[in-house]
Amino acid sequence: MSDKVSRKTARSAETPALDVFLHDDALLKVRDLSVRYRRGGKTFVAVDGVSFDVAPGETLGLVGESGSGKTTIGRALLKLLPKADTTIGGEVVYDGMDVAALSASGLRAIRSKLQMIFQDPVSSFNPRRKVQDIVGEGLEIQGVGRAERLGRVNRALNDVGMSLQMVEGRRPHQFSGGQCQRIAIARALAVEPELMVCDEPVASLDVSVQAHVINLLQDIRKNRKLALIFISHDLAVVRNVSDKVAVLYMGKIVEIGTGDAIYERPAHPYTRMLLEAVPVPDASHKIVPGPIATQAVSRAMPPSGCRFRLRCPRAQSVCAELEPKLSPMPSGQFAACHFPHDELAPGILAAV
Amino acid sequence: MNLPTNTTPDLAPVQPPILDCRDLSCHFRSPLGPLRVLHNVSFRISRRTTLGIVGESGAGKSMLVKTIMGIAPDGMQISGRILAGGTDVSALNEARRRAFLGRKFGMVFQNPMTSLNPFVRVGRLVEEASRFHLGLGKAQAKALAIELLASVGIPDAAECYSHYPHQFSGGMKQRIMIATALACQPDLLIADEATTALDVTVQKEILDLLQVIQHERQMSMILVTHNLGIVAGRTDEILVLYGGHVVEYGPTETVFSNPRHRYTEALLSAMPRMDQPAHTKLRTIPGRPPDLANPAPGCPFAPRCPAAEVRCHASMPPMTVSADGRHRFACYVPVEAGAATAAADEGRARS
Amino acid sequence: MSRVQPTQTDLAPEEAVTLAETVNAAIPKTARFRMPSSHPMEWFAFVFLAVLIVASVFVEFIPGLVRASFPYGDFSQAPQWSLNGLFGTDALGRSILSRVLYGARTTLAIVSVATLISLVIGMVLGMLAGFYRGPVERIVDLYANSMASLPPILVILALISVIGNSVFTMILALGLLDIGTYARIAKGGVIAQNDRDYVLAARAMGASDGRLLVREILPNLVPALTAIVPPLMAGLIITEGSLSFLGYGIPAPAPSWGGMIASSTDLLSRFPLLIFGPIVAIVLTVYSLNTVGDYLARRMSHRGREL
Repeated sequence: MSDKVSRKTARSAETPALDVFLHDDALLKVRDLSVRYRRGGKTFVAVDGVSFDVAPGETLGLVGESGSGKTTIGRALLKLLPKADTTIGGEVVYDGMDVAALSASGLRAIRSKLQMIFQDPVSSFNPRRKVQDIVGEGLEIQGVGRAERLGRVNRALNDVGMSLQMVEGRRPHQFSGGQCQRIAIARALAVEPELMVCDEPVASLDVSVQAHVINLLQDIRKNRKLALIFISHDLAVVRNVSDKVAVLYMGKIVEIGTGDAIYERPAHPYTRMLLEAVPVPDASHKIVPGPIATQAVSRAMPPSGCRFRLRCPRAQSVCAELEPKLSPMPSGQFAACHFPHDELAPGILAAV
Repeated sequence: MNLPTNTTPDLAPVQPPILDCRDLSCHFRSPLGPLRVLHNVSFRISRRTTLGIVGESGAGKSMLVKTIMGIAPDGMQISGRILAGGTDVSALNEARRRAFLGRKFGMVFQNPMTSLNPFVRVGRLVEEASRFHLGLGKAQAKALAIELLASVGIPDAAECYSHYPHQFSGGMKQRIMIATALACQPDLLIADEATTALDVTVQKEILDLLQVIQHERQMSMILVTHNLGIVAGRTDEILVLYGGHVVEYGPTETVFSNPRHRYTEALLSAMPRMDQPAHTKLRTIPGRPPDLANPAPGCPFAPRCPAAEVRCHASMPPMTVSADGRHRFACYVPVEAGAATAAADEGRARS
Repeated sequence: MSRVQPTQTDLAPEEAVTLAETVNAAIPKTARFRMPSSHPMEWFAFVFLAVLIVASVFVEFIPGLVRASFPYGDFSQAPQWSLNGLFGTDALGRSILSRVLYGARTTLAIVSVATLISLVIGMVLGMLAGFYRGPVERIVDLYANSMASLPPILVILALISVIGNSVFTMILALGLLDIGTYARIAKGGVIAQNDRDYVLAARAMGASDGRLLVREILPNLVPALTAIVPPLMAGLIITEGSLSFLGYGIPAPAPSWGGMIASSTDLLSRFPLLIFGPIVAIVLTVYSLNTVGDYLARRMSHRGREL
């Protein structure tokens, strides 16, 4: 225990303010997580020093575009990254245990507590296996007997609005996208997890089906006190499901805070750019197009200083020299920017 | 649809509309009988107008634009008429129809990763269309291609002319595809889910680009998407498809502020909004999309509609037209006129 | 933990899958077993192979057919419309048809066993190479490439010099040849699956490497491997035939197609029809195997296709 305390104080010296956001009793603690790939002689940094906490029953939204590293973070937490040519740094502490230091049997014990739901529900199932076997797979690996297994599979399917009878003898391709996603959730629920990583779970679904699955996740989260890490590029969905939101850009967190703070008073220019780009179903005024010229940004070689500076309307010379660190903002969130915004997001009514 | 087609809803245009679809229907032969993909779809697009076609997967929107472009899959039986700039293309044989439509309409496809031939240099891709349809010579076509690439915002267009597609990011590839579609100076540009595969910031760039180009070249445009947010601020009119039927068709602002068809209203309410607090329960649409092989008689949305009556299940509702003739919907139990959705309320309050 | 209320969306359970099945069935696919009635040539291939296999297994029970070693008629007779004389007689007066059928038994047995050995060893090596990559993959690649570059005759000569000429030698030689091909196909299939979500999902459940390979990955290799077995078998038949023709095959007097052709070469100028029998046998067998392979490849590519 003293070991952990001393490590905590050491890090506090670097980023004293961030401590307010990271607490000791969190279920999952991620400190300085980094993931590097070596491909063709070059090293790509997918995740570069990411830190956050997730409390029991809390939902953390990870928002970012392609190349932000959000999917990689999710996989790194569950130790699903390929072992070859990948270096993982930093610390992941689950329920007080350092995940990297666990033995094989310790890791297996933890597996059932951390589960994942993937973006494309159909491809997350082995097309040659029957659905009931798929849902019961985790239990089978744990050695649960057949009778009990079928019972738990049925209960998990009930929780998502289906039943064993509905899926009996059938294979994944006989179900629709929304049904498959619900089966995927049932598969994760069957092993009674405490934390679920949802990697773009509704991205490939129609709007009407999306609503079902989102509501379902909310219900399950509430009833089972599940912690969720919700990874998505869809800011409206993230707003709906998350308590806390972290905005990622090129492998780093550029802003992290409560959903309210981030959506009402986004501080980082990238967050603002994202929010402004989201298509809103409001036809009261026609959109005025912005400038159309574009700039090729290479992901392998991030710019010096702040990574966002090449696309940032507020960039100054200091942004190229000094990389900004996460600092507290007036609304309570943390943003890594030398010139953060302070005003309300356009379209938000000021709180009376 | 029994609306007389010679009463144009807008100011009587001097020129014929760029595209006029009349009672377009498609079905596909299958071992189980005909799969009806489109039923009596009618709409028209005038010069410099943008039409948004929205629907979920299986609604038939992709099939609709492919049919219009003449690239519907083999085995698709098409009935009805398509008039492009006054010319009845459905009367032409397939080869001539494709040649005609390829010249007049340009299309941008969904997945830029797979829609550009990876073995062909980008410049040649852009040139091909202009050389084939316009008969331009080599040097002319090259100059035009470089100009087009620059006009869609590709930096260093002259150099990028000789690059291969894989050297570009997704957003850039989509710009290249837009350049390809513009090569023949079409009258109508069709964007079929053109931004679905792109990041949200890139999506905005591409949609902005399309708007600017449309304005510069005075083209008409069709935006096909399942995302209502995309069509909201960028289209003049919107066509809502469900189960291959047109369920609502009218000016965008009217449809969003006062959707009349139950499906449109449900769809608008089911979308999560950024201005709603976290953990708001979303309004869902029960049931699932209609069965194409065994379409039920009556309104395709009836099995899922909270307001459905007996007659909704029994027969297909006819198109009701609003007082000004511009807003159409096919519903026996429409939402009341003047009733605004919660979102529209907030939208108005904000602006 | 209280139960979650099911979200109120669903139709009754039976209806839920009806839609998927209806649309599923509407799109033509060949998942269920259907006779290859699409093409008469495919029919022929299947029927021929079936007849050949049955006939070669039960040669002794074919009524009226003389033994292969029994000289019953004139020497080098042309084919006639009789059971024993269908392919004529050879230089010793033996029924060529009978010899062809006995030869079929030998050839099919040898090729089947060799294929089984190749398939199993190749599959295991390929799976390990594709799953673990690194040095394992390099070794397997090296073996596959070397095997591909060696003419079969060198392989069998080397083996004969070490362990002598026999049926076992032939099986071993043929078995070694195709290991590389099966390994390469298996490896490709494994690599394609390594990053698939269902493999990750199984890992997230705590599946061990072995379980992943056998329960998740292997079933998806079956289509590609199954489709390629018949053509490779056909190749082995030709190889065996060629080796026998050159004299390095199974020692006489055991009948083998290649050997039969070899022993007829001297008399070809006078009795060209002596080789008619074995050649017909080889050609039809190879053709049928390749056709069956095509059919399997086609069927396998349809199954598991999603809506």
